[in-house]
Amino acid sequence: MKKVLVFIISIILITTLLAACTQSGPASVLDKIKKDGKIMVGTSADYPPYEFVDSAGQKTGFDIELMEEIGKRMGVKVEWVDMPFDSLIAAVKEAKIDVSISCFNYDEERAKEVGFSKAYFNSEDSFIANKDFTGKIEKPEDVAAYKLGVQSGTTQDTWIKENLIDKNLIKEENVQLYERVDQAALDLAAGRIDILMADYVPAKALLKANPGFQMLLHEAIASAGPLNIVLPLNDEKVKTEIDKAIDTLQTEGVIDQLAAKYFGE
Amino acid sequence: MNEPILRIRNLTKKYADKVIFQHIDLEVKSGDTIVIIGPSGTGKSTLLRCINLLTRPNEGQIFLNGEEITAKGINEDHVRQRIGMVFQNFLLFNHLTALENVKLGLTKVRHMKAEEAEQKAIGHLKRVGLSEHMDKYPGQLSGGQQQRVGIARALAMDPEIMLFDEPTSALDPELIGEVLEVMRDLSKSGMTMVVVTHEMGFAREVADSIIFMERGSIVEEGSPEELFERAKFPRTREFLGKISELYGKKEKKGE
Amino acid sequence: MDLGNFLSYIASGTLYTLGASLIALPAGLILGLLFALLYLYGGKVLSNLMAVYSTVMRGIPPIVLLFVLYFVVSGSVNLSPFLAGSISLGIISSAYQMEIIRGAIQCVSGGQLMAARAIGLSQTQAVREILLPQALRIALPSWSNEAAIVIKDSSLIYALGVPEILRRAQLISASTQQPFLAYSAAAIIYFALVFITTRLLGRLEQKLAIPANP
Repeated sequence: MKKVLVFIISIILITTLLAACTQSGPASVLDKIKKDGKIMVGTSADYPPYEFVDSAGQKTGFDIELMEEIGKRMGVKVEWVDMPFDSLIAAVKEAKIDVSISCFNYDEERAKEVGFSKAYFNSEDSFIANKDFTGKIEKPEDVAAYKLGVQSGTTQDTWIKENLIDKNLIKEENVQLYERVDQAALDLAAGRIDILMADYVPAKALLKANPGFQMLLHEAIASAGPLNIVLPLNDEKVKTEIDKAIDTLQTEGVIDQLAAKYFGE
Repeated sequence: MNEPILRIRNLTKKYADKVIFQHIDLEVKSGDTIVIIGPSGTGKSTLLRCINLLTRPNEGQIFLNGEEITAKGINEDHVRQRIGMVFQNFLLFNHLTALENVKLGLTKVRHMKAEEAEQKAIGHLKRVGLSEHMDKYPGQLSGGQQQRVGIARALAMDPEIMLFDEPTSALDPELIGEVLEVMRDLSKSGMTMVVVTHEMGFAREVADSIIFMERGSIVEEGSPEELFERAKFPRTREFLGKISELYGKKEKKGE
Repeated sequence: MDLGNFLSYIASGTLYTLGASLIALPAGLILGLLFALLYLYGGKVLSNLMAVYSTVMRGIPPIVLLFVLYFVVSGSVNLSPFLAGSISLGIISSAYQMEIIRGAIQCVSGGQLMAARAIGLSQTQAVREILLPQALRIALPSWSNEAAIVIKDSSLIYALGVPEILRRAQLISASTQQPFLAYSAAAIIYFALVFITTRLLGRLEQKLAIPANP
């Protein structure tokens, strides 16, 4: 009850105190994690096969299982917190969650706000379209001639902005942003966009679910490949711990097993 | 008992620059019924609302049973418990039954126990002839019935003086009689009353003293015989003549 | 069948939706009533303050306010997304409820208060015994509308990560690639909640109605 009252009073103060809060927090989130015996991991479980829900409503997927393994190696329980993708970075910054795994690529803009673990997997980007699409796409920039769709807040989104929009290869109104990739897929099927740019692995999952799609091109374009776990900024202790766990899983072959399970051809 | 129940000394009320009434002096002895008559807009209603402190006068003093109620620091709520008021528009509490309307002051202000308050309230409703309607809501009562409940509600507080602000002006003609009858009985029973009204028949029959007010001042004051038969001022005679034509004769017919 | 499991997964979000609404509505009512009374009877300074509060809170889209209240304030206090979201919804609703109650109080004729004071009731007693019972009856239809809005707006807390109906529908839609089914299920549940609520409040209205002759 007391916490609730403090919360309400804080809100009343906020209308007069609009100065941005500086980031505050414990010395390292790792101390809190070890003390509580659990790590709070944020994810956006709407991105098969990296993170999604099964028929029992349980979270599952490559990232999910990988993080569970990391938790085991760290000796702590994983507590999952699901939220829209756009909210995850802010949630780590504001210490609402300890870390986040959600098919994140390292990105310079993001690196100003949060920290990253070492890479745990290498992904690629891809462009998919309907089977009746006849354009010739030989290099990534070729897609600028068409209507594009992309999930907002992703590295693909940033790549399109920096390499196509800012370079005047495509007009901003021809790029449609989506909160989730499955929304983009619906618009692609409906013909509202011509090409969808997404991470290679979920794009493959979309192809499997939508026989009317085709893969135009896939390579490491925007993200330069690696996937990383998002950590609090400048938190060396937790970075060391998580990097160690990733190395262990790599050596033990666990990561390859999971890749085969979820990305297997 | 020499001290009058109500004494008003040099009372003045203004709204911005407009003078509503000024330099009013008035005395009401215990058991008397005073009727105030005069053209509309002469400040009669405002005067009443000053007496029970719903409005504050700008100058002057009011004494209730010798105690100055216009003094600084007076608890106005306590004063109003001792003065009963009946309104032109009845102003019954719409969400309460007749019985609950009368009971409310007893339970919330006098802090009576519920059963005791209920008995007392029923008694007052009987007195005004409405005991069969006590569980009805104001919306289910006629104007005359509502006004009688209003009188019962004011009486329930055992006031030292009752104020009536044009109590029958908003009533259909057939319903005026039942209210005037209650007021007549009340006056006969010895209640001290100040009544603002146009009902000349009532004034003539029931008043101990009539006050004629015009443009914010008292023009003339006297017994009914004095004013109706040999008024000193022509204006008084003029007014009484006109009004009696309109109201007085009708009242006589309806009795 | 898998479909049944998916649908029951969405339906179990109702717990959060109902919970959020059952926190937000009463919180909004208590605050809204307080603010309305302060606006009407609190003197010039408080009255102006309440007017500013009302204008600001009603002038910003609820989702924006939700983010501001949740992320910006979260620096000082740590509450779960569910609690923070629900309380924020309550604060947002309080501005709208304040206007509803204020309008309803102003509908009650001044004579009612005057008659109450005339029998010796204090201002507080008069407001409590005479003004509010009549005002709240007048406010009920508009309040019923606000209740429906709060239930529907509770879906906004999906953005904070609360696993309520809408978020669950989104996850199922992504997993199964069956958006129509997922969102139809969500729509039906929201509709049922709002329908039942407005029906119940309608019955309350009838029960409280003051009898009068036509």
